[in-house]
Amino acid sequence: MVAHEVIPLELKRIRGILVIMVLMLLVLAGVLFQLQVARSEEFEQSLRRQSLRRVRLPATRGRILDRSGGRLADNQPCYCLAFYLEDIRKPGRWQNTVDEVLRRIKSLEPVVGRRSLVGAEEIRMHIRKRLPLPLVAWRSLDPAALARLAEATVDLSGTDIYIEPMRVYPGGEKAAHLLGYVGSAVLPDGVQAEYQYRLPEVEGKSGIERHFNDVLSGEAGGRLVRINAAGFKYSEAREREPDPGADVILSLDGRIQELAEVAIRGVPGAVVVLDPSNGDVLALASSPAFSPGSFVPSLRPEVWEGLLKSPEKPLSNRAVTELYAPGSIFKPVVALAGLASGKWSAEMTVHCPGYYLLGGYRLRCWNPNGHGTVNLRKAIEQSCNAYFAALGMQCGEQAIGRMAMEFGLGRKTGIALDREPDGLVPTPEWKKKTLGDKWRPGDTCNFSIGQGALSVTPLQMAVVASVLANGGDVFAPRLVLEVRGRDGAVLTNYPPVLAGRVAVRPESMQVVRRGMHDVIMAPTGTGGKARIAGIEMAGKTGTAEYGTSGNRRKHGWMIAFAPYENPRVAVAMVVDEAVSGGTTVAPRLHALMDGIFHPEGAGG
Amino acid sequence: MNRRSEFLLLLSRMNWLMLAAVLALMTIGIIFIHSATHVREDVTSGLYQKQILWALAGLGAYVAATLFDYRKLRDAAWWIYAMALILLVAVLFFGTRIYGARRWLMFFGTGIQPSELGKLAVIVLAACLLSPPAGKFERLPPLGWMLFLAGVPMLLVLKEPDLGSALVYAPVMLAMLFVAGSAARPLVILVLSGLLLVFLVLGVVALPEKIGMSPEKQEKFFRAIHLTEYQRDRIEVFLDPSRDPMGTGWNKRQSEISVGSGGLTGKGFRKGTQNILGFLPRTVAPTDFIFSVIAEETGFAGAMTVIGLHGVLALCGLYSAMAARDKMGRLLCVGVVTMVFTHAFVNMAMTIGLLPIVGIPLPLVSYGGTFMVITLSALGLVQSVHVRRPGV
Repeated sequence: MVAHEVIPLELKRIRGILVIMVLMLLVLAGVLFQLQVARSEEFEQSLRRQSLRRVRLPATRGRILDRSGGRLADNQPCYCLAFYLEDIRKPGRWQNTVDEVLRRIKSLEPVVGRRSLVGAEEIRMHIRKRLPLPLVAWRSLDPAALARLAEATVDLSGTDIYIEPMRVYPGGEKAAHLLGYVGSAVLPDGVQAEYQYRLPEVEGKSGIERHFNDVLSGEAGGRLVRINAAGFKYSEAREREPDPGADVILSLDGRIQELAEVAIRGVPGAVVVLDPSNGDVLALASSPAFSPGSFVPSLRPEVWEGLLKSPEKPLSNRAVTELYAPGSIFKPVVALAGLASGKWSAEMTVHCPGYYLLGGYRLRCWNPNGHGTVNLRKAIEQSCNAYFAALGMQCGEQAIGRMAMEFGLGRKTGIALDREPDGLVPTPEWKKKTLGDKWRPGDTCNFSIGQGALSVTPLQMAVVASVLANGGDVFAPRLVLEVRGRDGAVLTNYPPVLAGRVAVRPESMQVVRRGMHDVIMAPTGTGGKARIAGIEMAGKTGTAEYGTSGNRRKHGWMIAFAPYENPRVAVAMVVDEAVSGGTTVAPRLHALMDGIFHPEGAGG
Repeated sequence: MNRRSEFLLLLSRMNWLMLAAVLALMTIGIIFIHSATHVREDVTSGLYQKQILWALAGLGAYVAATLFDYRKLRDAAWWIYAMALILLVAVLFFGTRIYGARRWLMFFGTGIQPSELGKLAVIVLAACLLSPPAGKFERLPPLGWMLFLAGVPMLLVLKEPDLGSALVYAPVMLAMLFVAGSAARPLVILVLSGLLLVFLVLGVVALPEKIGMSPEKQEKFFRAIHLTEYQRDRIEVFLDPSRDPMGTGWNKRQSEISVGSGGLTGKGFRKGTQNILGFLPRTVAPTDFIFSVIAEETGFAGAMTVIGLHGVLALCGLYSAMAARDKMGRLLCVGVVTMVFTHAFVNMAMTIGLLPIVGIPLPLVSYGGTFMVITLSALGLVQSVHVRRPGV
């Protein structure tokens, strides 16, 4: 019977299939045994070498505040439109994805109203180097653009608004040189190697931003991302939250700073206002200034070129880094040197015929008609060169040099800013060494009237003014009061530093201060234009020549302190191209002092 | 005898060992879907609950299929086949695109995969055509005709594209033809030429680079022979896993590490670091790569349990085939067993790096609704054959 033969064949074949299936399962079991038992160790190891990538997360930068908490440097959210390329990924070659992103950028450009920051090359670079991170296509979107985006009908999948902290300087150019500016951070190689991906990060390039960069930048955090070699991200496990930077509290008085900036606006120059009782820098301004905000997020090259090439050097902080001859404002120091040497007294008089005769050479006094016979107090008031030349010749360059050093000249004040020079207090040894020439009497004469090789910064002269104001205490200028954590706790406190004391008898100091009082308060004083209503002030004008003989130019100077009794401010002000201290600087000093002592224009 | 007690009688004749294996695999599946997704905080962490619902629905279909007399399928076979073809065509036009392939049809918020239905439809139709209706003489339809009937849905599935699912049609049809008594020689030739074709494709993929064709020329060449980059990548990685250990080989490599690091007894339930840390891609961990999660967490012992249970399933199914009352029942069982077994084998083999990754699920264990219901319905038909076996 046919069926009888057929059925055993079917059964045989079913058994055959069963055998094949059992064999296949045995193969599976065998391979599984290989993997899980025999080679288990090897896979354990592979497991540990999984591909983890570290992303560096910059911390929020600390703020810079003035002494009353006014914000000088802060952060604000910057809205960026970013693409998440992993979500946009198109099948096939990466070029497809690049094309897709370009297509989206094109459709978004009219909505955003601006051209995108990225092109095909940037997209390719991003895919190669930092695929798991968002690709920022537009920065600093304004509210109008955000609103248009929210209503736009374009495809926004894989697109997100991404917030980056952006450095802002609410005061515009205010205190620009002190604050400095930030730029893209350059991480040391070691740190660089630790992270495979980095988010944009800034670091201070000058000013407080640079000097206190470590404090301000806080502790960067890190995030672990698991990726495969195609660069895709599988998951994130935040490793460490970034630790936000601390706030730096400056000694700056926001109001006085503004007054100081107004006072020297329009001319190249600098002004420093110190509190003579502790050395606090109440204001420090340099003109012309720049806008630190223009460096964020990055400076346009042409602006940078302009800043670098301008002959007025807007990036340089004249108050701290530029050296000047002090001219006549050095005379109070010379006077004290004479008195302290014991070879001169306040009552000694000199007849000034309009010049000082040294050998056969006439050292001209600024008043060709001569000052007649003057004593020390009058000589300071009138800034008589003949008198100080005679005084200097009497006590010698050694005594003047020593006194200058006691006032802190010839060395850094130690302010918390970079690139501060020492300045120079010349000595015979110095001249021999650098110029190969011996010290001559003419050098002493020049030294006595603040000319010659002597060079100072405006900040150093503000310290001199401050010492004269408080009667002898040399405080190091204190720019930073404290560093405060984000929670307001004080992390570091910087107490005033008394760097030294000028050793002169009180009577000597008194007579010099009287002379400076007359400079401003006497009807004939050289600094009369600085006078303000109701406050007795003291000061000294100065005009220092510089440049070549064919191109003589003059710095105008003033140092001053006020009120005369119990001074609260000590000021040094310099204007690069001046007629004279009394004509050019005194009115500007008037504006500053008037503003300080008569807020809201109450005074005259 | 009333209807209810008739049903009870039928159920009592069920192949209990097979049911036990089915329930065990489903339970393991639900447990490890939970394990594979519990670290996620999104909605997918509830996948195992959905799987429980699908399992219950599938068991309903299983019991219904058991009670249904498979012989009545003879009238419906062509209709089922036609409906499957319509759905397969529909999915090409209206299907939802996921990861670049149209495999899903959405009905009332639930996705179904017509390719799974297609497999069952072909099995049913082939079982009918290859067995003579009662009272007719044994005469097998021509081999070409059978291959054509299996080839149409296979090509449609391939078009989605779903290479893995499409490949399953071949062994199913071959096994049924073999058992039906088709001459051995053409079948052997068919198998050999199939294997030859596979090697040829592999060769074609590897060759151009070997003989130093420029990248542009290679690109052109592959476009000419309709091989997408995605398919090529997978094949190339299979040929040489070390070639790009972190690129396209990622899933394969990671899966091997998962399995390998499991050791003899595994790392413990929900302790699979590969899975928890997400090295095993989360989108596939509960579906195609559930076996590697099991292997990592329960080790060789657990993996062997799953292999063993699938062995029991195949054994029971083939036992039912041998015990069947008629040829149609026999072929139905062989077809279903081959389908389930092929899935299981290919899935586990690709997980442990024995086959290229083609993306087909592990029956009864992987997450997935349509496949769960279809598999249980199919196994229900095997029970339907079993309970109606003669001589008890």
